[in-house]
Amino acid sequence: MVTPALAILSLFTLGLLAPFLFALLPRHAGKLLCLPPAFWCGWFWSKTPASGQTWTSPWIPELGITFSFRLDGLASLFAILITGIGAMVLLYTEGYCGAKPGSGRLYGLLLLFLASMLGVVLADDAILLFLFWEATSVTSFLLIGFEHERANARRGAVQALMVTGGGGLALLAGLLVIVQQTGQGRISAWGPLAGDPLYLAMFALVAIGCFTKSAQFPFHFWLPNAMTAPTPVSAYLHSATMVKAGVYLLARLSGSLGGTEVWTWTLTLVGGATMLTGTLLALRQTDLKRLLAYSTVAALGTMVFVLARGGAEAASAFAAFVLAHALYKGALFLVAGAIDHTADSRDAFRLGGLWQRAPVLATASTLAGLGMMGVAPLAFLAKETLVDGLLSPPDVPSLIVFGVMAAGAVAIAGIVAFRPFFGKADPAIADGHKPDAPLLTGPAVLAVLGIVGGLTPTFVFERIGGPVAAAIGGGTDPHPWALWHGFGAPLAFSVGTLALGLAVYRAWPAWIARAAPWPSFGFDRAYDAGLRGTVSVARAFTRTIQNGRLRAYLQTTIATFLVLVTLAAVRWNPSPQIRLDTALPHEALLALAMLLAVLAAVRSVSRLAAVVTLGVVGFGVALTYALFGAPDLAMTQIAVETLTVILFVLTFYHLPRFARGSGTRTRAVDALLATGVGATMAAITLVASQRLLGTPISAHFAENSLAEAHGRNVVNVILVDYRGLDTLGEITVLSIAGLGVVALWTFGRRAAKGGSA
Amino acid sequence: MTLLLAIVIGALYAGGVYMMLRKTVVKLLIGLAMIGNAANLLIFVSSSVVRSHPPIVPKGSSAVPAPYADPLTQALILTAIVIGFAVLAFALALVKRVYGEVGSLALEEMTVSDE
Amino acid sequence: MSVLLALPVLLPLVCAATAMLFWRRLRVQRTIAVLTALGHLASTLALFVEVRRFGILVARFGDWPAPYGIVFVADTFSGLMLVTTSIVTLAVTVYSLSSIDADRESFGFFPLVCALLMGVSGAFLTGDIFNLYVWFEVLLIASFVLMALGGERKQLEGALKYVTLNLVSSSIFLAGLGLLYGSMGTLNLAQLSVRVAEATDPGFVTMLAMFFLLAFGIKAALFPLYGWLPSSYHTPPTAVSALFAGLLTKVGVYALIRTFTLVFTNDPTFTHRAVLLGMATVTILAGSLGAIVQRDLRRALSFTIVASVGFAVLGLAVSGGASQELATLALAGTIAYVIQAMVVKTQVFLLSGIVRRLSGSFDVARIGGLYASAPGVAILFLLGALALAGVPPLPSFIPKVAVLRAAFGEGLGVYAGVALLGSLLMLGAVARLWSHAFWRAPMERPHESDDDAPVNLVFRFIPVTGLTVVLVLLGVGAGPVFQVATEAARQLLDTDGYVRAVLGGAR
Repeated sequence: MVTPALAILSLFTLGLLAPFLFALLPRHAGKLLCLPPAFWCGWFWSKTPASGQTWTSPWIPELGITFSFRLDGLASLFAILITGIGAMVLLYTEGYCGAKPGSGRLYGLLLLFLASMLGVVLADDAILLFLFWEATSVTSFLLIGFEHERANARRGAVQALMVTGGGGLALLAGLLVIVQQTGQGRISAWGPLAGDPLYLAMFALVAIGCFTKSAQFPFHFWLPNAMTAPTPVSAYLHSATMVKAGVYLLARLSGSLGGTEVWTWTLTLVGGATMLTGTLLALRQTDLKRLLAYSTVAALGTMVFVLARGGAEAASAFAAFVLAHALYKGALFLVAGAIDHTADSRDAFRLGGLWQRAPVLATASTLAGLGMMGVAPLAFLAKETLVDGLLSPPDVPSLIVFGVMAAGAVAIAGIVAFRPFFGKADPAIADGHKPDAPLLTGPAVLAVLGIVGGLTPTFVFERIGGPVAAAIGGGTDPHPWALWHGFGAPLAFSVGTLALGLAVYRAWPAWIARAAPWPSFGFDRAYDAGLRGTVSVARAFTRTIQNGRLRAYLQTTIATFLVLVTLAAVRWNPSPQIRLDTALPHEALLALAMLLAVLAAVRSVSRLAAVVTLGVVGFGVALTYALFGAPDLAMTQIAVETLTVILFVLTFYHLPRFARGSGTRTRAVDALLATGVGATMAAITLVASQRLLGTPISAHFAENSLAEAHGRNVVNVILVDYRGLDTLGEITVLSIAGLGVVALWTFGRRAAKGGSA
Repeated sequence: MTLLLAIVIGALYAGGVYMMLRKTVVKLLIGLAMIGNAANLLIFVSSSVVRSHPPIVPKGSSAVPAPYADPLTQALILTAIVIGFAVLAFALALVKRVYGEVGSLALEEMTVSDE
Repeated sequence: MSVLLALPVLLPLVCAATAMLFWRRLRVQRTIAVLTALGHLASTLALFVEVRRFGILVARFGDWPAPYGIVFVADTFSGLMLVTTSIVTLAVTVYSLSSIDADRESFGFFPLVCALLMGVSGAFLTGDIFNLYVWFEVLLIASFVLMALGGERKQLEGALKYVTLNLVSSSIFLAGLGLLYGSMGTLNLAQLSVRVAEATDPGFVTMLAMFFLLAFGIKAALFPLYGWLPSSYHTPPTAVSALFAGLLTKVGVYALIRTFTLVFTNDPTFTHRAVLLGMATVTILAGSLGAIVQRDLRRALSFTIVASVGFAVLGLAVSGGASQELATLALAGTIAYVIQAMVVKTQVFLLSGIVRRLSGSFDVARIGGLYASAPGVAILFLLGALALAGVPPLPSFIPKVAVLRAAFGEGLGVYAGVALLGSLLMLGAVARLWSHAFWRAPMERPHESDDDAPVNLVFRFIPVTGLTVVLVLLGVGAGPVFQVATEAARQLLDTDGYVRAVLGGAR
């Protein structure tokens, strides 16, 4: 069987079943549910292929869409992170939520998200990838809004959905353009696309999708607002996995879309801007989760920044950073949740001294914090590898940006990882409960892995760095990871940023205490303004079109008719040759009478007069039928017209007189529309009566009605025989109309009796 | 005569449209009825009008002698007349009922369903 | 085989007549209605299977050969539409068993549903343009009565707008018919196709095409002709609006697709690529924008119908004048889209009835709290809402991909972009509905519902769940669904095949 598909399917099914499992075993749901992802994590770890391995089966051949999955170094790295951190988060959820009712949904949604995310990184078909991509947006929407009775949770959820969903649609457009141009749905089969005439469109659309998903500047604002989600969700989706989907896809497509000036410049600028924005905004926060969120924005910027460079070395550095970041940031988020749980506060400014109450947590936090500072082995290694790349040849602007980001990370790590435990406590902080084992396991394991991973660089490089470089770097990285790069520029850089960061950390409390809240930065507000703008445009548009006035709808319809017919006439550009027949005096008289009747109807002020003129018109039509060989029609017309007039009179006899007339302008517009329709119809009728583009089939009836259908009155034969089905329908219409009239009448009487309904 | 009839059709459409756009429901219905008549006449005229025999096979003959009026057009118009009448009757009943609820025949006052 | 083609029309007719005989015995009428819907489903399924086996099927009424007599023609497209119609009708009929009040029932609710079904089926099957007009009138008059039956002021006013604008559509249709017969000398669609292709004056044909485009455009609710729909669909009882939402506009879309693939193909640059494309694109935007600002749940859903019609017609517009391959893709997308839209619209409208039942209101601002109190309803609604927004893996996604791909391939990227923007707006609209009606804390329960008698809700949940299952199956089975849609599209584009099947040698 196709193993990646099996992994996704099994975890998806598990997600559907999770609420039921929770209902059965609320206290152990996390322990049990974390096992399958843990198993898959082990599987992916053991299976990392040197070169990519592909599974495929047809799905929608007409569209060239296949069920194809591909496991290569890049996919493997992300799959390991998704399943591994997922397992830790599920376990953690048990401690975080306990047996709180409704937590079953949380488990279920987390697993559904996990499966979708796994799909994103394993899919090889563009449309399949997009399908999973959207699934992560939707599950993320439901998870951010999990505490749905809080207004800001709902706002954060809708905002995340709109931003990532909007980007998703751009991505879809981009992918479709690529598929259409290459004729190839499989991502692995796309060669370099830089030469394609639509390259710019492809790149721009795909980049918008990736930038929104990965919270790049200027779309970064949704991520901090998504922190209204429960902490396990923030840790998992908004730091370790989902926000990396965009980065993943950029990495995945770097072979096809990368290597151009546009690519390098865009990614460098956007990544750099994101790094600076994230770092600076993070330092203005006091809420632990928002601090972490903004620092995640900065880290995501770093990843994009690295991807701008391309090549095997950058790929390897990228892999190291993604791995290190997922471990320490995941751990720190989980620690933040545990702090919240322990001290009922997430205020980094006021928290302190928690190490006595939670020593294990303090240890985990310290280890993870060291990682974020770039001191713990794995993170150190990642940082050195990155700086190595930036130094050869030296790229000063990039080094400065990266330096700011690194120093900021040191300060933020101090604030979130050390201060709450070792800083001075605010006495107002409540004395909460102690964290229990499930709450501690996750952060501890992740933090320790961050240390261990760095101590065995060669081993991890073989499993992660090398394969990633092979997958997206176009070859093997000539410099395998090493913990110790010797004394040199990279080390000096590290020491420098560390020192700078520590200085910022020391200055931070005083700064926060003094700093008046800055006017909140623009993009979140811009989103709101955009939303409001859209709604008011929508409202104005809808009020104009859907104004409730039947007359307006009629006018619109008639105007549309005139426009369309005029356009067609202009296109047609006819040179009509009309052969006119003569009219006998009595015929002309009849026509004149009808014209006068119409005029009278239009000008009538009394109801009765209007109805009478209608009758006159009807009888005129009947006479016309009689004069031109249609006695049957004439008879029917007379009967129906009489009935119509009687009905009109009966219906309106008791009703009031006409309301006052319309204004002159209204009448002028209406007259214009009416004349337009009249002229058009007259002209078209005249043309149609002259223009025969085929023998009428009625000749057949005139010749064969007696022989075939044994009837002399051809019209009757057609009605009851050749076109009996029309007559059947006609009778149905008549009966239902009768039923409707009776029903309306009865309901009306009932309503009148019972007062207003 | 075709020209005259085409003009009549045009006038019927123009009159019907104008009536439909007035403020009261009664005129709206009269307008619809006029347009119904116009459409039937249009069908009649657009397959050419000739002073001719009705499409009836005379005794002792096997086919309708030329020139004859197009029997298919007539069948279509017959169907259309009946359907048009049925629908118009229903519309009249509806308007009567609307008047019962709204207490007015002015179209301006009928915007509740679009609020 | 002729019987199979006639059954979808005759069965409802016979049942409507029988039900009328039992005027005072509602229980009998209900039984007949459910049996009709089931029988209709069986007959359309059988017909669909036969069409798949033998290709286009033709039935002559009175054994008169085309083009002299009226023929019914079933191809894969009409087969698909018929089966979906049966499913929708069955669901609505079951739903209405417990939701339609005795007053409406006693005035022929069930016979009217049968008549509507008859008209819709006839419209999908007929191969004659005047006969199409007759079926349109049958379904219209049935819908008029259903729309107006009972009702307070709002409903009656809605009905008046609905009736008037549809009558305008009918008279434009009728005028177009007269002109078409007058100039082409035939009413048979196949023969019209041949004669239009050979016409010496194609410009005049294009002129006539505008009549049909407009008449069907009103019924399908294209911009700027859709005013009647959001004015009226939210006013009648839930079952009625759900039935309309599922069937009526889709008949208009069907007629557009049929005539603009079979007959009016003489000038696609103008008819398809200018007029239809423009109208469809604006329709998508207009519907999505309208859906964002509504407070009434059903009215918001009405606007989503408009948007989805726009999307369906977009595919038709793209297919006109496109290369064979991309035209097939676009049309297949359109067909698959229409099919799922019928199911989704009925599902969400029926659900809105349940929502109102549980919360006491259609007002989005006053519903609240259903995610916690009725998770089942929430999940059903979420699936429907995601399908409205075209989110994968719901069945509206793959058709969208097909149409967009064809659009990109034909260099119509701008229109595709607008369609995607519409999708985003729609996503916003449904997210807003969801977060208001389901996520927000419950309000104090408003009591504006007159429908509060303790009733077993099972009859309402069964059809909604059933439709949701159909929806999920359509999504999961996207492969086979799209395969069938592609076959249907190929048949539509192969007008020669249609003509051969209907006319044989007699052109």
